[in-house]
Amino acid sequence: MLRLALRNLLRRPLRLALTICGVALGTAVWMTLAGLGDGYRAGLRTELDRAGVQLMLVPLGCPYDAAARVLKGRTLETSLPASALDAVRSDPAVAVAAPMLIAAVPRPEENRTDLWVGLDEASRHLKPWWHMTAGRDWFSATNGAILGSEAALIELRAPGDALHSPELRQTFRVEGVLERSGTSDDSLFFIPLRTAQRLFAQDDRLTAIAIRLKDPAELRAVVQRLQQIPGAQVVTMTEMMGTFLRLLGTVRTLLMALAIVACAVGILGVLNTLLAAVVERTPELCLLRAVGASRTQMVFLVASESLLLAVAGTAAGVGIAGVGGHAIESLVKPFLPLAPTGTLLQLGPDRMTQCALAAVLGALVAAAYPAWCAARLPPALAAKTE
Amino acid sequence: MNPSKSSQPSAPVVIARGLSKSYPRGSVTVAALRNASFEVGPSEFVAIVGPSGSGKSTLLNLLGCMDAPTSGTLQLDGQDVSQLADSGRTRLRRDRLGFVFQHFGLVPTLSVAENVALPAFFARRSDPKRVDELLERVGLSSRRHHRPHELSGGEMQRAAIARALMNRPILLLADEPTGNLDSQTGSSILELFRELNADGLTLIVVTHNPSLASAAGRRLEIQDGVLISSTPGSPPKPHGPR
Repeated sequence: MLRLALRNLLRRPLRLALTICGVALGTAVWMTLAGLGDGYRAGLRTELDRAGVQLMLVPLGCPYDAAARVLKGRTLETSLPASALDAVRSDPAVAVAAPMLIAAVPRPEENRTDLWVGLDEASRHLKPWWHMTAGRDWFSATNGAILGSEAALIELRAPGDALHSPELRQTFRVEGVLERSGTSDDSLFFIPLRTAQRLFAQDDRLTAIAIRLKDPAELRAVVQRLQQIPGAQVVTMTEMMGTFLRLLGTVRTLLMALAIVACAVGILGVLNTLLAAVVERTPELCLLRAVGASRTQMVFLVASESLLLAVAGTAAGVGIAGVGGHAIESLVKPFLPLAPTGTLLQLGPDRMTQCALAAVLGALVAAAYPAWCAARLPPALAAKTE
Repeated sequence: MNPSKSSQPSAPVVIARGLSKSYPRGSVTVAALRNASFEVGPSEFVAIVGPSGSGKSTLLNLLGCMDAPTSGTLQLDGQDVSQLADSGRTRLRRDRLGFVFQHFGLVPTLSVAENVALPAFFARRSDPKRVDELLERVGLSSRRHHRPHELSGGEMQRAAIARALMNRPILLLADEPTGNLDSQTGSSILELFRELNADGLTLIVVTHNPSLASAAGRRLEIQDGVLISSTPGSPPKPHGPR
């Protein structure tokens, strides 16, 4: 039956190719958008997990925006007093409190903005996954700097090199270069906290304090206590994740609507092709009925043609998604809130299986009406038509 | 080649009683066939003749279970088929009847051998030996891998006859089988029909071809949907051993 169906399809190579293109396009859009959604979710989770914190103390304002900016290494309009750090560290439930100061240094002549992050020793406990490609893993001097992998690549610097910042009027000595982590750390310039506070005229000010608890079960009580610190507010990472995913959900709904439209176009393309084929081949289908094909066999014949179209289109679509998905990612990524760094596109076997099943289902839906038409053809017409 | 599956060799293969068929055409009902009663015995060669639009093809469609009668009864090989559902008629067409059409009705994407094997394929059987035997029988062994468009008209009709015989039918029905052929090719098809009939196959042929009609053992003449006469044809030519 499949061979017969294949030969039927091959009668009209151009129509076959166009229909497969339609299915492939729908599949590629679906796969890519779903793959991006999966990658976004996984990337976000990885970034939050890697941050190794359960809480973030940020200045008053929108807490999620503040926490997100800190996680992504962006500056805030406001800052925390250094006294907040003492208050946090005095809480008995707090295991690590890592202050940080983040400042942006515009580089208009190079059309970019560098982000400098001041850290103190406590941050080392929150970044156990930090690995150096070369050099030391912490500052040995107040003018020491550790560069993210992309930052080192842009500046063409290696450990031991001098790094002069004309905007800050300061020359640093590169002490280490981080291995690529796929997080926002890759593009940052890390310097000692005191140095950052001095250079950016933020003495005794902090952008945020990342907090890890001794026992995560005490989260609720700690939050209540830390909320009492004047000028500060607490954001939990669980809340942040939920907020990000809700934001993503909105974008995802829009993108999936687009994908559904693309798939619907593919299904309608298949339906149109099959219907045209049934009309064109009416005498032949009547003849098959006359020589003994049952209605069920006619349905199978049309469904087989539809499945072949779907399989070919899906295979091509997966290929297109694999090859062109990254181009779509670069188009979509700017519109994703707080997109994790690194590639987002994830085309795993689960997603491919889901796509294949959807293609089979779509093919059956597309085949339903043409198959019904084919099954209803009267065999008596075989004698009347050429 | 005796394809009859009848348990009673002498019983008629076809018994039609008061067979009628009407079609709605707009607001009126057209009686295409009225009250036809006749029998066709085993190994008979019957020609249905009559002017165009007289109801010959309608009668053939009813005999071939491609359509259901409006009234009357029809028995094929002892089985009443007039009230059969579509699935029953399909089974009967597939397993016990063979069809030959004026326009050959070969599937253009299939080879000659695949076309011949179609009825077996729909019966979920595979019988390559039978295909070989039939192709040999109709003289198309060397053309088995050719597509229909590579065949002459006579070859296409021979392939269609081979296909009609694939499931060893009790009755072969042909609708103007020489209508699209030149006289010489038509004669060769007629000769093939004679051979098949001589081998015991029951044949009912709708035709305008006088040679074919006269070759039949009996002629059923139909006019305006009414069977008006049943006359004996020329005796079949004797055949040598095959």
